[in-house]
Amino acid sequence: MFNAKKITALALTASTIACSAALLSSAAHAQDKQLTIAMITHAQAGDTFWDIIRKGANMAAKKDNIKLIYLSDPTADKEAQLIDNVVQQHVDGIALTLAFPDAMAKAVKAAHAANIPIVGFNAGGDDWKKADLLGYVGQDENIAGAAVGEKLNGEGAKSVLCVDQQQGAVQLEERCNGIKKTFKGKYQILYTTGYDMPTVKSRVQAKLQQDTGIDYVVTLGAPFAPTVLDAIGAVGSKAKLGTFDLTPEAVKLIQGGKLQWAIDQQPFVEGYMAVDLLWLNKVNGDVVGGGGPVLTGPAFVNKSNVDEVAKFAKAGTR
Amino acid sequence: MTEKADTVPLRQQYQPQSYWKQILKRPEAGALGGAILVFVFFWLMAPPFRQFSAFTTVLYQASTIGIPAVAVALLMIGGEFDLSAGVAVTASSLAASMFTTQLFGNLWVGAFCALIFALAIGALNGWLLIRTKLHSFLVTLGTFLMLQGLNIAITKLVTGNVATRDISGMPGFDSLQTIFASNIMVGHAQISIAIVYWLLFVALATWVLLRTKVGNWIFAVGGQGESARAVGVPVKQVKIGLFMLVGFSCWFLSMHLLFSYNTVQSGAGIGNELLYIAASVVGGCLMTGGYGSAVGSALGAFIFGMTTEGVIYADWDPDWFQFFVGAMLLLATVVNTWIRARAMKGK
Amino acid sequence: MARSETPIIQLKGVGKNYGNVNALRGVNLTVRQGEVTCILGDNGAGKSTLISIIAGLFAHDEGEYLVDEKARRFSSPREALNLGIAAVYQTLALVPLLPVWRNFFLGSEIVRGWGPFRQLDTRKMWDATQDELQRMGINLEDLEQPVGTLSGGQRQVVAIARAIHFGARVLILDEPTAALGVAQSGLVLRYVAQAARDQGIGVIFITHNPHHAFLVGDHFIVLSRGEVELDAPRADLTLDNLMFHMAGGTGLSTLEHELHSAPPAATVA
Repeated sequence: MFNAKKITALALTASTIACSAALLSSAAHAQDKQLTIAMITHAQAGDTFWDIIRKGANMAAKKDNIKLIYLSDPTADKEAQLIDNVVQQHVDGIALTLAFPDAMAKAVKAAHAANIPIVGFNAGGDDWKKADLLGYVGQDENIAGAAVGEKLNGEGAKSVLCVDQQQGAVQLEERCNGIKKTFKGKYQILYTTGYDMPTVKSRVQAKLQQDTGIDYVVTLGAPFAPTVLDAIGAVGSKAKLGTFDLTPEAVKLIQGGKLQWAIDQQPFVEGYMAVDLLWLNKVNGDVVGGGGPVLTGPAFVNKSNVDEVAKFAKAGTR
Repeated sequence: MTEKADTVPLRQQYQPQSYWKQILKRPEAGALGGAILVFVFFWLMAPPFRQFSAFTTVLYQASTIGIPAVAVALLMIGGEFDLSAGVAVTASSLAASMFTTQLFGNLWVGAFCALIFALAIGALNGWLLIRTKLHSFLVTLGTFLMLQGLNIAITKLVTGNVATRDISGMPGFDSLQTIFASNIMVGHAQISIAIVYWLLFVALATWVLLRTKVGNWIFAVGGQGESARAVGVPVKQVKIGLFMLVGFSCWFLSMHLLFSYNTVQSGAGIGNELLYIAASVVGGCLMTGGYGSAVGSALGAFIFGMTTEGVIYADWDPDWFQFFVGAMLLLATVVNTWIRARAMKGK
Repeated sequence: MARSETPIIQLKGVGKNYGNVNALRGVNLTVRQGEVTCILGDNGAGKSTLISIIAGLFAHDEGEYLVDEKARRFSSPREALNLGIAAVYQTLALVPLLPVWRNFFLGSEIVRGWGPFRQLDTRKMWDATQDELQRMGINLEDLEQPVGTLSGGQRQVVAIARAIHFGARVLILDEPTAALGVAQSGLVLRYVAQAARDQGIGVIFITHNPHHAFLVGDHFIVLSRGEVELDAPRADLTLDNLMFHMAGGTGLSTLEHELHSAPPAATVA
């Protein structure tokens, strides 16, 4: 199957890089100088997805003997400020999410001027080259969105509702645009405000009451899937549900058949690889990706392969 | 003296005014006008808004703001702010979840510990306010940020993740879910029990405010603390009590959230404290204290619920969502102020 | 109304020291039922020290303070209040946004019912407020209106009526007319006289306005630098005389003489 193949391919790339890293790590230890790498994201604090990214980054840091500084802020100017901050600390490398490319351009330039290598991950798949980053790890959100659109076509959906939890975030917009591009039926978007679950529930309810023709809902973040499922039940809608990303709850819902699928970008790998790529560059001058992004997704998790994923999800790394 | 009493004009009747005039003079009169306006507006603009099930959806959204807002309104009448209320809700659900999963294994015990915890936050807020004599805005801003940090740090420390584990299926879940998060089906409309509790709390708070000693004290403490102290009102106790009441309301909402949604993201709740305050102010509470009503806070929450859901029912461009919500709230508030100004003049 | 001539309050040689500073020395004062005693004096003359002692905010160091002919030393205003000695300060202890009747009973609410269902007896409180205010001769249009909407004089009267309702036999009025205009001052003075005459309240009226004092006073005490400058019943005094003592007494008259100007009475009266 296409999905399974893709996953193995990804796993292979990941493991080769990991192996090479392991080999090189002895060399680094010989240097006996600990690198300091900053990871800057647009995460809202207390979000499961970002925590998995961080776990991956921590693992790479531990293995490569790196001191990792993790900073995050969900607003554009603050995230840019964080970059300035670590540049002033003279870190050895920066891994960042290019969520607000324009707002961050100046800070990125300052980092270039200070000769600090930057690797992008998770957000900014369209912009990382323009910003002159060393590499990019992540899922191409447009491709992921397009894959979802095709999937919906395949399942015969006529009218889809996209639930976006953070209006204006570029990677979420890209997902939506991807769906819009390939999906043949009626497409609508609904914005909610972060993790305020009652708001999510009532807004989705309202939307489903307003347009009773909606037969598929896609959440752009997995923590919202159970809540949206509630809302669908509450208004007696027949709509099916799919989600971007993965949480242990989402895994359970897929196992129970209530959630059709989750599209996994493997956040653990994103965090891990972003740090590791910087380390490779510092220690060995490597640039990975061959001018393109290092793709970690999209990979569909559905009833056929969910059990494999479940045990890692339980450990909090998928 | 007795001859004199006979000559003075007849004693005024108790509550001599017409019903209509009395309603107009109430603090929530403006909010009532605003609510009617917004309701009629969406009734005309959005056909799906007219269904009964839409009404219950709006009420549900309103109730999740309204439950803490009732307590916040009382606190504001008592002359204080609480910025920590939004994250205190999340903190309470996290506490209940973690006490259960890590220590006791029973949700009843966990819920009880969370209640103690929430009341303690309130008491701490009040105690700090009285000890430091700082404005409550500053004190609770401090506790707000501290709680926000604690929510994430402790959750991560204890569970290794930033969200709590799914609690469904743990001992006590079913009974507590029935109490805090059950739904009643009326026809095709789902009515959450949170709505029922909300209305109950509003009624209770109104009775306390208008018909009890403590209610009288709350108005006095917020209106002029020094005067209240001079005539023997226990100002400190009233204020600490009010903060603890807000703590209780946060706990109550947190129980609803926990048993409705099973897990808690530790970053949730931020920003909601402003909605509680906004609901109270739209409902007629003065920012300076001493004036306001519980019914007003409910109307404020209702206006907010109608607006956010109404924009969806009207199917307006979602990119403009926040703009419409803001504009509608502003409109409601302007009508509100206009009515209040007229009521004051026409006494 | 039958009046006993035994004094309610009697001060004999009362004094107070703050460290080395002698704030008050040798004050004798008697308050009887239905009598208005005016205490006059410039800023810092010791007026507030004196009323603080009488109202129980702190105790005296020298002399004797008798209430109903029994020597007392108060350590809190509550003790004084229990003996019927109440002070109405300039702040009035009213809450502006609260309706008149709620203010009237604030801190001493009447409740009925039991346990958690105990609630305000609004009708009783409303009626009592109405009665008390009418007894003072004012008839407010609406007791539901916030106290803040009343005039300054009306507010004073509400505060005075409240103190009387809750059992004051001696009322200490701290500069009740200080912030009021002419008409409003008149209103308050009328009620002060009325309260004393009709209800037999002993009034201690603190002011620095000799005109106001002379309108209602039965007995006058002028304080100067902590000592009694003048202590006289109304019968022994004219307004000019009172003003002369208020204005600094002999000291000022010497100055007057030196400057060869007209006596102050001529210009003010």
